[in-house]
Amino acid sequence: MAGTHLGQTTVGQPPQSWTIPHPFGPRVIAALFLAAVLLALSAQQVEMDRMLSLTGEWIAAQVGLRESSQVGRGLSRVLLTMFPLQIAERTEVSRIEGLDRRRLPWLSRIEREETRQVKLNPETLKIEQHVEIKEYLVEPFGYLLRVLGKMIDTLEIGLWGTIIAVLVSLPLALWSACNYAPHPIIYTTARSTVSFLRAIPEMISALFLVLAYGFGPVAGILALGFHAAGFLGKFYAEDIENAEKGPQEALFAIGANKLKVLWFGVLPQVLPQYIAYTLYILDRNVRMATVIGIVGAGGIGQELKGRYDMFNYGHVSTILLALFVTVFLLDRLSAQLRARLI
Amino acid sequence: MLTFHNVTKYYGERTCALRSVTLDVPRGEFCVVLGSSGAGKSTLLRTVNRLVSPTSGRVAVDGVEVGPRTLAQVRPRVAMIHQQFNLSPRLSVAKNVLAGALPAVSTLAALFHTFPSRFRKRACELISRVGLSEEHLRRRAQELSGGQQQRVGIARAFMLEPVVILADEPVASLDPTISREVLGLLKEASKERQTTVLCSLHQVDLTREFADRVVGMRGGQVVFDGPTAQLDDGMLRVIYDAKKPVSEPAEAPSPVRPGILWPAHT
Repeated sequence: MAGTHLGQTTVGQPPQSWTIPHPFGPRVIAALFLAAVLLALSAQQVEMDRMLSLTGEWIAAQVGLRESSQVGRGLSRVLLTMFPLQIAERTEVSRIEGLDRRRLPWLSRIEREETRQVKLNPETLKIEQHVEIKEYLVEPFGYLLRVLGKMIDTLEIGLWGTIIAVLVSLPLALWSACNYAPHPIIYTTARSTVSFLRAIPEMISALFLVLAYGFGPVAGILALGFHAAGFLGKFYAEDIENAEKGPQEALFAIGANKLKVLWFGVLPQVLPQYIAYTLYILDRNVRMATVIGIVGAGGIGQELKGRYDMFNYGHVSTILLALFVTVFLLDRLSAQLRARLI
Repeated sequence: MLTFHNVTKYYGERTCALRSVTLDVPRGEFCVVLGSSGAGKSTLLRTVNRLVSPTSGRVAVDGVEVGPRTLAQVRPRVAMIHQQFNLSPRLSVAKNVLAGALPAVSTLAALFHTFPSRFRKRACELISRVGLSEEHLRRRAQELSGGQQQRVGIARAFMLEPVVILADEPVASLDPTISREVLGLLKEASKERQTTVLCSLHQVDLTREFADRVVGMRGGQVVFDGPTAQLDDGMLRVIYDAKKPVSEPAEAPSPVRPGILWPAHT
């Protein structure tokens, strides 16, 4: 009998003859060697050697072993052009329609700028000096306020993207949890949908959604929402599957239906993780909302792309700083929210 | 009234957990199922609410045979108390007890946690009955001690006035003093309401103290069935002693010597 056989093997052999497998057997060593060879080949493919040599040159230049380095020159060029930050907005008065000179915007002023040009008059064949006076409306915090406005737009895109992601992912999660899916076909369909949504980067879907919905935040919101729904659907479903079975069994045992068991036996267990995932997705969506703006899906990304293309790096650094501050504040806010809710 | 008639359960093809168990437990009786681990105690209890479907045989609760068709009718009348309490740890005590009434409320009401006032009143009465106070109502189950959690489990079990309570090793993770209190509470509450209790236990002293009747199981078979007074050392050896052969052993005997497992009564 199996049990007797089991009894004989466990009791029969003396512990002196037992062996505990070594953690680094020949198979593990062979696998590690293979992984190292593959990584070395891949490193050559992606020019990791070049990265190491350039970084080495830069470090050597920093400690005085070399005069200059390519990386150092590039970085200093970028840093020099990125500072000072562009805070003020300067607009040519002739381009502003209906400007009331007696009621200028708050803190703003009009500056006059003279430009002298030396030109050859083709009729008299004499060199003449032209004085051109241009007027500019200078708003000291104009660009900063504009960036903040765009940042709020971006936050709203991220927020609505998250709301759509949660709404789409909740039913998908329920159907793609193997212990709660109503039918195997629904389970497979929901799982495939979740994988599909996750597989398409928001940048790509935003490109197509811009064609469908036009330029503006709608395309961005939908792109972010669908991609994040792929993540949330997977995370939510896995938490439902891994939730402790005891409380669920207790409720099934007295005849509660699946939805009630889910509500009372599963949701209270998984809620802290759900809040954490959702806040992370909100954080991620706000960051991604800046990037998808580049393809015309609204928000600060469009502004960033425009300024970058016009080589206005002072403006770019203001945008980047605003982005960093926003993400940092959002991170603090979500940490406090999590501490309060969990 | 709880009836088992020739109940047999196989896990896979070879492991027999229950072998032709026939048993009647009358209304209001506190019946303890005694036996070593793997004797089939939990499986026997779980056939009543069909958390385990018997391979053959019949189980009936108050004359209603338990089967797929009658399950929705039977389950709300059969409460269960679990070894690990099985409360929702992050829900409040009040909500855990109210969850015992889930089969009797609409899904919409459950989703919004709005239970009818009769259930809310009943939950408060039961929480008080098991020795917890008003300040416990809002506390999360995970903040309570093991004994308090099992009290909440008992309160939850009585929410729908069950005719049978299945207690699957309800005091296995509690210390002897708390175990005595919890079993005393369960017995009192069930006597007040004439509820049948089928309780699996490991502790012989607690069995002698609380059981009206003892069913001894070994290898999936009932090897002893009688009033607690008849549970003498000879009978305990029959239930626990692996050396003593059962007429048809369902599983291979354990290679561990019985004296190590249970030295007090050998």
